[in-house]
Amino acid sequence: MKTYLLASLTLLLACCYVGIVGITFADHHEAGEMEMLVFPEKYKPMAVSNGGTISGVVKFEGDKPEMKVLEITKDPKVCGVTEKYDESLVVGEDNALKNTIVYLIDISQGKDFDKEAKLEIDQKECKFTPHVQIVPVGQRLTMLNNDRVNHNVHIFSKINRPVNKQQTKNQKKLRIAAVKKAEGPVAVECDIHGWMSAWIAYVPHPYFAVTNEKGEFTLEEVPAGTYKLGYWHEACGTNNETPVEVTVEAGGTVTQDFTLKLK
Amino acid sequence: MRIRTIALLLILFGTLAVFSPADAQNAPEASERGKEVYEDSCAHCHGVEGRGDGSAAENLLPRPRDFTRGLYKIRSTEAGQLPTDQDLFDIITEGMPGSSMPEWETALSTDDRWQLVAYIKTFYPGFKENETPPKQITLAGKISYAEQSVEIGKELYVELGCVECHGNVGRGDGTSAPTLEDSWGFQTWPANLTQGWTFRGGYDTEDIFKRFIGGIAGSPMPAFEGDSFLNFGLTAEESKRLIELENRDEMTEAEEEESGKFYEKMDAAVDIALTIQEGGEVSAADIQTYNDAMKIVYEKSWHLANYVKSLMPEKRPEPAIGNNVLRSQYVQGALPAIDDAVWETFEARYFPLVGQVVIEPRQFNPTIDGVHVKSFYNDTEVAFLFIWDDRTHTTDETDENTGKTLEDALAVQFPVKVPQGPTAPKPYFLWGGRLPVYLWHWKASMPEQVTELTAKGINNAEVQEVQGELEVQSDYTDGQYKLWVKRALKTEDKKDLQLEPSVFVPIAFSAWDGSNGDVDTKRTMTSWYTFVLEPVPSSRRFVYPPLIAILSVGLLFGLRAFVQRRNSEEV
Ligand code: HEC
Ligand code: HEC
Repeated sequence: MKTYLLASLTLLLACCYVGIVGITFADHHEAGEMEMLVFPEKYKPMAVSNGGTISGVVKFEGDKPEMKVLEITKDPKVCGVTEKYDESLVVGEDNALKNTIVYLIDISQGKDFDKEAKLEIDQKECKFTPHVQIVPVGQRLTMLNNDRVNHNVHIFSKINRPVNKQQTKNQKKLRIAAVKKAEGPVAVECDIHGWMSAWIAYVPHPYFAVTNEKGEFTLEEVPAGTYKLGYWHEACGTNNETPVEVTVEAGGTVTQDFTLKLK
Repeated sequence: MRIRTIALLLILFGTLAVFSPADAQNAPEASERGKEVYEDSCAHCHGVEGRGDGSAAENLLPRPRDFTRGLYKIRSTEAGQLPTDQDLFDIITEGMPGSSMPEWETALSTDDRWQLVAYIKTFYPGFKENETPPKQITLAGKISYAEQSVEIGKELYVELGCVECHGNVGRGDGTSAPTLEDSWGFQTWPANLTQGWTFRGGYDTEDIFKRFIGGIAGSPMPAFEGDSFLNFGLTAEESKRLIELENRDEMTEAEEEESGKFYEKMDAAVDIALTIQEGGEVSAADIQTYNDAMKIVYEKSWHLANYVKSLMPEKRPEPAIGNNVLRSQYVQGALPAIDDAVWETFEARYFPLVGQVVIEPRQFNPTIDGVHVKSFYNDTEVAFLFIWDDRTHTTDETDENTGKTLEDALAVQFPVKVPQGPTAPKPYFLWGGRLPVYLWHWKASMPEQVTELTAKGINNAEVQEVQGELEVQSDYTDGQYKLWVKRALKTEDKKDLQLEPSVFVPIAFSAWDGSNGDVDTKRTMTSWYTFVLEPVPSSRRFVYPPLIAILSVGLLFGLRAFVQRRNSEEV
């Protein structure tokens, strides 16, 4: 009886770990372990009045790297019109680091999702835009095909079921079913054009931002309180081990910058 | 004692009645027995913890499945769904052709195979969490095979983009083929749709239908369900009308509105499909709309499955032994060139290739299935046409590990001296030994040339000093090589094979697929087969048939002796 209890307890704990933290799986994009986002156990939407703002700039530490040109192995007339770059590390002026997710790790209540937000990833000239897309749990993503070629949308979910659907040149729009569990970021690829790569984060609350080409991010309408601020970057990893604590005052603005280096 | 036997029999019959294979079943609870059998029979490939990392895994491609991600290729269920227990039982029972996954019907009892199903499910928590059973693909409404159906399917093959990976005529040579990776980052190749026997999940029309509707999880092959099809949600007439409208240079306001309505209708159908997929609530009317839309999709899918089926022979060809021995046909006058239509009148003989695994470096994961051969001869010369499928045309690639140059190639092997009589010893099939072999070596980088070699072992081949006057033509189109070689029946060179009618001559092949890392001993091969220049039809034909009969019988005995000898050598 005792062993049985112990076993179920371990199982329960294991389940929690998988469900909440998002277990770290070996991902085929990286040789080692892929670090994931950390989500709160529960999240309750509520009206936020007089919330604060967290903003900042994410920079890359070290010399500005050359962007790798991608080899266009297929459909050059459509895909090769302009040069394509590996977007796993996009460093702009003043070492601004694009495509970093900055988010609140431990928020349990706050504003609801902006239901009007466009959840789209465009495929144009055989490139995904944006490179990193936040998708709320329970909402549908739309894939646009602005190319006169066939693509396949392959989403490598591990906690949710993976998706791999053909989007032919005739389908301008392909909608992807909503997922139930927070997860990510998960890779999005087109197998037909092997160089195409993007990331989706399926998130349970709206306090996620992705840095722009100036490395800037803003999290708005944050209820007053102290939070752990996390980041994720494809090439630079996460601060899951050492998240930054920020205190937001009602109606106030906090600035928190980050400087990241390659993992 | 007797009572126990009867009881046992009763139990046996009882289980038989319950386990009748006709209806799908569920696995029992996972038990110690499942674990035991798994660790005995599966773990050295699939790993003790089901991660696909057993001790034998490293050399294998595709890799033994990692069961922890719940990705199963061969399912009767819709896109994104887990397999049914019956699916898992069937694949364990039948194995996966074209990979190293064996069949277990012979080695394991039915009960043990069910225990295994239960046990491998424990590696992926999703099986437990899923309360609703996976949704199965409906096979009702099958459209039977007919030329017209195949024609419609052919258009869909292009429209849906199968061609991107599987190539123009389905040989797995699509322009995306060389860059495909599976979900674990290992290189993978699209199936050659002209070789159904290499499919993992069978090649009945129903199997093919299920594979592209449900997708092949863990591989790049997408699912083609519902909205992957053009104008999902419209009837055939509506779809036709919309295409017509969209092809106009300009639309009137009324036409704009009409096309807008079509788009709304399609949007609504997709919406319902997604809601069903997400497990949301839908009305009875919605279900009707969805079923109507899916009916059209399923019809198209049967046409497509019929087309894919039309690309392959009914079954794997018989190897070129017994009645199927390669017989070079006599013609008077000039021999046909590579592109002569006469070749089409002659059924090719098939020489299945296997990976060379005797000598390092070995090839455990061959990509060339076999060589098809035809031949004609006249009074002075013989011409052969060798045909084999290779997904890529590789002439100069560098192997990442060894730095060696990789390219596609074929070698045709004969003994230098034809053994006198069917029981006389032949040279060792791996490029000779004490008895030498005579070889024609063709490489894709020099498509109009064959080099004559003499070899006394797989690593002991020499280019002949005197190169004979061989005529060579070759071609690579849509994932298929054709090599045409013409040589005099008799030559001056003592190191060459000399040919004459009615003599059975040993023949064997080696093939290299550069893009699969084939180089040197890492290749695909056959062991010895035979071919014969079919006797010249003449008034003496009364003599020949009995002679051939005698020879054939002798040959059979010889073959048996050869196999027995090889078997005893292998032990
Ligand atoms: C010699 C190595 C080897 C052994 C032994 C082996 N397998 Fe496999 N198995 C494979 C390989 C390789 C694959 C993947 C084939 C592919 O992906 O095309 C596979 C795939 C599978 C699959 C996935 C089927 C699907 O639809 O995707 C199942 C289930 C499976 N094996 C069960 C078993 C069980 C149970 C045993 C023991 C009774 C076993 N295997 C023993 C090599 C092996
Ligand atoms: C993005 C590339 C891609 C596209 C597009 C694609 N396939 Fe495939 N297909 C594959 C790959 C890769 C495999 C091998 C899967 C494996 O066993 O790992 C495969 C395997 C198959 C098989 C063999 C299944 C088996 O049991 O082994 C069939 C049949 C097939 N595809 C049909 C189709 C049809 C029909 C279409 C179009 C509707 C299509 N494929 C589109 C990549 C593709």
